[in-house]
Amino acid sequence: MYYPEPISKLIDSFTKLPGIGPKTAARLAFFVLEMKEDDVLDFAKSLVNAKRELTHCTTCGHITDRDPCSICSDESRDGSLICVVEDPKDVIAMEKMKDFQGKYHVLHGTISPMDGIGPEDINVSSLIERLKDEKVEELILATNPNVEGEATSMYISRLVKPSGIRITRIAHGLPMGGDLEYADEVTLSKAMEGRRDV
Amino acid sequence: MQIQQLTLTNYRNYEKISLQFDRQINVIIGENAQGKTNLMEAIYVLAFTKSHRTSKDKELIKWDAEYGKIEGSIFKRNRTFPLDVIFSHKGKKAKFNHIEQKRLSDYIGSLNVVMFAPEDLYLVKGSPQERRKFIDMEIGQIQPVYIYHLGQYQKILKQRNALLKDLMRKQSPDLTMLHVLTEQLIEHASIVLERRFLFLRKLRDWASEIHKGISRELEKLEIHYDSSMEVLEDMSLETIKETFQTSFEAKEKREIERGTTLIGPHRDDLLFYVNGRNVQTYGSQGQQRTTALSLKLAEIELIYQEVGEYPVLLLDDVLSELDHHRQSHLLNTIQGRVQTFVTTTSVDGIAHETLEEADIFTVSDGKLQTEG
Repeated sequence: MYYPEPISKLIDSFTKLPGIGPKTAARLAFFVLEMKEDDVLDFAKSLVNAKRELTHCTTCGHITDRDPCSICSDESRDGSLICVVEDPKDVIAMEKMKDFQGKYHVLHGTISPMDGIGPEDINVSSLIERLKDEKVEELILATNPNVEGEATSMYISRLVKPSGIRITRIAHGLPMGGDLEYADEVTLSKAMEGRRDV
Repeated sequence: MQIQQLTLTNYRNYEKISLQFDRQINVIIGENAQGKTNLMEAIYVLAFTKSHRTSKDKELIKWDAEYGKIEGSIFKRNRTFPLDVIFSHKGKKAKFNHIEQKRLSDYIGSLNVVMFAPEDLYLVKGSPQERRKFIDMEIGQIQPVYIYHLGQYQKILKQRNALLKDLMRKQSPDLTMLHVLTEQLIEHASIVLERRFLFLRKLRDWASEIHKGISRELEKLEIHYDSSMEVLEDMSLETIKETFQTSFEAKEKREIERGTTLIGPHRDDLLFYVNGRNVQTYGSQGQQRTTALSLKLAEIELIYQEVGEYPVLLLDDVLSELDHHRQSHLLNTIQGRVQTFVTTTSVDGIAHETLEEADIFTVSDGKLQTEG
């Protein structure tokens, strides 16, 4: 190694982040050396705090600094409506919409036998428990519209169906502000399938 | 449909060549290992963005170069448009009208090509995989959305096989996920099967007609679709779906025991019969070759029917291998309608009438010369 140990360790740590290769990591590490000590300390603290103070909400699985999370403990939200998503980032995306007043359930992944991920490896069992305890009227399945996301949605719907709870799947189709002529055939045919009366 | 111009840069053994094609028939003459097939391959790649000879795109780049490029100027439906396929060590790009097409299904179909090469004999006597590849490629170039369904099918199939392997080892497996994947698989499997049936109905009509002509009415060619389940070709999409459903239910136990998916388009095959006998097993080399030729010629007509224009025909090293009768039948079929590229080591085996109408190119060590 050409680098002194402290910096090579720092480079090593940066490469553990997604999307960062050895070259970018080296650049970031050298940048850190140039930063003010206070900023570096702040940075290090935020890293540690984010990890230490954030946990997963025991009810919905969303990331939170207190348990249950602010969404689950918000009395003004409609508890009879649960939106199932793959990832905490999806909750944030949904929240940006500011339109949805129900609650969430985060799966932390999708079922993918190829990658050795079965139903027991994602946050499904706690969803089933929730449906038993809480008064839920509708379950909205908002996993991604790809093979694994669809399979996971279908799996959950089969599991929940006997309970008689209404199960819906978010619509697929054209993006708003989009152009019909640029849409691919598959999206178009999904949009046709999901057409509705006006 | 016509290729008016072709430019290769750092492609295989070509550093840079630019060719103009004015006539319908273009004969490329050269010794072995000079680059005849590379030229045919380049046209094929321009149509499909991948080679018929290798799955490694990097092999297409000249050994000492960073990137390789194929540019073509295509005349189709009364207009001319450019196609480019560029290979680098990072990957490939396919451009239609200078605009990159990210999805394969958006690009394929811009140029239709039918190739007949010595290895097409394997279409008849090779493994079922060869025939599935043939049928998938051909439907794909007529109906690009087929490629999507096939891709989804293969993705779900991988998941399902992984799950079955997992279930095989378990004592009392939970089958909910298997049923989910089966439902997903059937969705795409049915479409794939329905499209294959439709394609086959058309191919069969043309191929048997052509075969009759080539064999001087002595041979009758039949093509059967050998499915991994009991299914009829005239079934509707709905019925095919139901048939899949009952077949999967019936095979469930065995699939778990074996740890793999036992039915579906990935296990199907085509069977060829001449005068009621299976050509794959009982046919002579000549009959097998005639069958392959009939299929390829049928494809030309089929593409004309579907696309409205004749595809470009590539005959790689096969013309001189056909006897006089077959050769003239072939040339009669295409006469004046199909732009054709022929490679050969010498003009000796090729009929005079053909040569008179052709532009002749001589290839030697990656360089080309035109002899009018």
